[in-house]
Amino acid sequence: MSSQPTGGSRVSLKDVKKAFGDNVVLQGIDLEIPAGQFLSIVGKSGCGKSTLLRLMIGLDSVTAGVLDAPALKEQAARIVFQEPRLLPWASVKDNVAVGLGEGQSGQAADQQAAAILDEVGLKGREGLWPSQLSGGMRQRVALARALVSQPTLLALDEPLGALDALTRIDMQALLEGVWQDLGFTALMVTHDVGEAVALGDRVILIDHGQVVLDLAVDLPRPRKRGTPEFAALEGQILDKLFGDDPRAREAH
Amino acid sequence: MAATASEGPLSRALPWLVPLALIILWQVSSSLGWLPPNILPAPTAVLQAAWLKLQDGSLVDNLGVSFARAMSGLIIGGAIGFSLGLLNGLSKRAEMLLDPTLQMIRNIPHLALIPLVIIWFGIGESARLFLVALGVFFPIYLNTLHGVRNVDPQLIEMGRIYGMNNRTLFLKVILPGALPSIFVGLRFALGVMWLTLIVAETIAANSGIGHMAMAAREFMQTDIVVLSIVIYAILGKLADSATRALERKFLAWNPAYAKV
Ligand SMILES: Nc1ncnc2c1ncn2[C@@H]1O[C@H](COP(=O)(O)OP(=O)(O)OP(=O)(O)O)[C@@H](O)[C@H]1O
Ligand SMILES: [Mg+2]
Repeated sequence: MSSQPTGGSRVSLKDVKKAFGDNVVLQGIDLEIPAGQFLSIVGKSGCGKSTLLRLMIGLDSVTAGVLDAPALKEQAARIVFQEPRLLPWASVKDNVAVGLGEGQSGQAADQQAAAILDEVGLKGREGLWPSQLSGGMRQRVALARALVSQPTLLALDEPLGALDALTRIDMQALLEGVWQDLGFTALMVTHDVGEAVALGDRVILIDHGQVVLDLAVDLPRPRKRGTPEFAALEGQILDKLFGDDPRAREAH
Repeated sequence: MAATASEGPLSRALPWLVPLALIILWQVSSSLGWLPPNILPAPTAVLQAAWLKLQDGSLVDNLGVSFARAMSGLIIGGAIGFSLGLLNGLSKRAEMLLDPTLQMIRNIPHLALIPLVIIWFGIGESARLFLVALGVFFPIYLNTLHGVRNVDPQLIEMGRIYGMNNRTLFLKVILPGALPSIFVGLRFALGVMWLTLIVAETIAANSGIGHMAMAAREFMQTDIVVLSIVIYAILGKLADSATRALERKFLAWNPAYAKV
């Protein structure tokens, strides 16, 4: 019993601007994200990545410009944060059920929850409390909660940022597998350029509120880091990110 | 906590050794006549008094009266404190309106009101109920307010994103999040509850354990006085154990309360 493909939905932004009071965070954003694409978003801290993500799934509204995303009208957009934000007093299964929304319970709901938990590799852990899980497993529960209602658009805001390096590698593979199985459109913010290239069909770089680099990643999956093609893409992004500052690049 | 303490029967008996030794010392001192019975009666004398009071039914009657008083005061004061704590925790405006006044009143020791309470209510049942209710009100109010205020805002945002309405948000996120703090309040409240009841029954009552002790004092029945003290101790311990059991049931998700 595993989850059926849900398919993705497109997102389109035309000359989008977002300001908080006088603080203009995003400006002149033009993006066409086709259904089912995995988009990685990178950029320095504070450049507006989270803000862009929140706009695209309807948690914030644009100050100017046009944002068109069918998933918003169908309430089929979900988000996963860096912190899993699980209810500590609810079992794994009940936490996933939160994703089904009001008044969804009974056998059908149980089956959906079980299927998605199977999909993220948590079969048999339904009854545990979040405090009994590792960080990686908690984030899987958060992913299952976001996916249980079969969204066509999934935003991920540094979803693996709090995990240790080894768990990250596991979770990247899991994320890629789930995305390939279900087919939703994925928008992932990350600090890790390697991760952006490993997972994205496309990587965009935000700087000073604008898209300064829009790069297609045409490598076969699953991708191997350390190949010359992979390294070249990484290098291109890092160059743009840090300009000519060799020390900053070295540190990355 | 001793890291090396094992789970054997010896370590389980350990906490009881000192009390047991004290009781034996007490019994021996009484039997040898070092402790005159009009100062402190022997443990066996206290047990004998308990047996007598049990047989004539007065112990059970007084116990019932005290227990009912404690519980009614707890329920009344606790319910008001809980409701106001929720109200002020959920509504900033209500908090601004009510909390400063409550914080001011909180600084008055409630037992200082006894003379006034006697003038208002006489020495009847309502006076004692008022004092107990007032005493338990504050710990419950303060800790409920604190618990609601400190629910993780990220969880609340998560609930909203997943479309929870206010009712569901309250029942699934805010109330469970505030529960550990509410239990802290309940424990404090239980302590205040017994203390207030002892004082109230000792000063003005014609039934209850406190009255039993005061009546015995007039006739220098030290065994019954000591019996009353022991009963209060047992009641306090029982209330505490009951709270612990509730905590273990309702806070099982929290590693700090999980059954060891
Ligand atoms: N709700 C808000 N109100 C006011 N200003 C905000 C708000 N949210 C974000 N900002 C501002 O927008 C700018 C971009 O913030 P954002 O969180 O999008 O950055 P980020 O790229 O996600 O950074 P990080 O990598 O550190 O997460 C910051 O200057 C921040 O102060
Ligand atoms: Mg961010």
